[in-house]
Amino acid sequence: MRIHVTVNGTGRTWEVAPGDTLLDVLRREGFAGVKKGCGTGDCGACTVLLNGRAVNACLVLAVKAEGGAVVTIEGIAQGGRLHPVQEAFLEAGAVQCGYCTPGMVLSAVSLLSHNPDPSEAEIREAISGNLCRCTGYVKQIAAVERAAARMRESR
Amino acid sequence: MAVHQVESIVRSTSIEEAWDRRRREPHASRFLAGGVDLVLYAPPGVTTLIDLSGLGIDSVRRDGNDTVIGAMATLTDVLESPLVGKATDGFLPRVLQGIASPLQRNVATIGGAVVRAHPWSDVVPALLVLGARLDVFDGEERTVDLADARGRSEEPFPLVLAVRIPAAQKGVRAAFEKFSRTGFDVATLNCACSARMERGVCRDARIAIGGTPSVAQRLPRAEEALAGKSLTASVMAAVAQVAALEIDARDDRRATAVYRRRLAGVGVRRCLESLAGLGMEAKE
Repeated sequence: MRIHVTVNGTGRTWEVAPGDTLLDVLRREGFAGVKKGCGTGDCGACTVLLNGRAVNACLVLAVKAEGGAVVTIEGIAQGGRLHPVQEAFLEAGAVQCGYCTPGMVLSAVSLLSHNPDPSEAEIREAISGNLCRCTGYVKQIAAVERAAARMRESR
Repeated sequence: MAVHQVESIVRSTSIEEAWDRRRREPHASRFLAGGVDLVLYAPPGVTTLIDLSGLGIDSVRRDGNDTVIGAMATLTDVLESPLVGKATDGFLPRVLQGIASPLQRNVATIGGAVVRAHPWSDVVPALLVLGARLDVFDGEERTVDLADARGRSEEPFPLVLAVRIPAAQKGVRAAFEKFSRTGFDVATLNCACSARMERGVCRDARIAIGGTPSVAQRLPRAEEALAGKSLTASVMAAVAQVAALEIDARDDRRATAVYRRRLAGVGVRRCLESLAGLGMEAKE
């Protein structure tokens, strides 16, 4: 089957099998920042934005993205500058092995696009589908708070 | 992981076309809503998916006194809907907030949750105590009670177009409890109760318990034990005991029947305590 999707702002046309997941296709097409972890929607390593919402790419059939807009971790830096959430993750030391980081960052980006001033509880809820086995979650939460403050200041 | 058994996906453009295809291939086809469940638990022998994305059944609207949630609305759409929040006094959004993670709620649909109706579904007991009905199509459009629809063994199950929630009458309260460590966990047991409080006594009592390990069902004997009573400690204890005995409790790998009866009693009591003190309330 042929699908038409916009990935990180660029239109793409891909041949996919009916049962391919969005994760399968994105990785096959070179978007290696989309990590494959559990494959069952538990770990969140495959998180991407689909039409502005964070989703588990492993649980979305690729055909469901037809006509939609996908953003992967490769697509959030602008003009060579990291996204404020990426900068905040680095500054807060919220990165260790890095496997969960793309998904965690995209969940945070999705949260801040809908809620610029989230409470700690809302941040915890937003990243509740992203598991980190290295650092715990304290530094990621601090990073999201830092990014939120910076993004509000720059508005 | 790719669902290798799927050979074709049909993008339906009309309700009639989708139903006709499903009816002609009852065993080899399934409707494709959000797709979460199909990716995780693709039924053996299913090779055709009938995508419902193009049917325009994903909005939330008012229809008279009812709030009508399109079957393709995601759980996020529902929990963020001001109409749903108002119609249920925040009860349904709070229940949905405790299910899975935002990543899954952004994809999973209310229609999918109702049709698949997993034994551990938190959506089903919540909708049962709200008196939800389903707009369905199986050659003609009709509305059926959710409680009745779930008891049928039609194959194929009619195409669900919407979940219809009646306007809450004045004084209606609802509460939800589930026994799980996090929203990600499959609840060992879940429980929802609602009642209309009239001069201090319960009317129109509804009690539903799921994960027994069967999917949630209303409990007529427990509801009868609550009807017309005030929410005193002794009434709550008595209703909880009736519910514990009434559920179809069985052993499975998650819990024993004995433990489930214990949970049912505790869950009902906690829900009733919420009803006694609060408006529509959902607690994890």
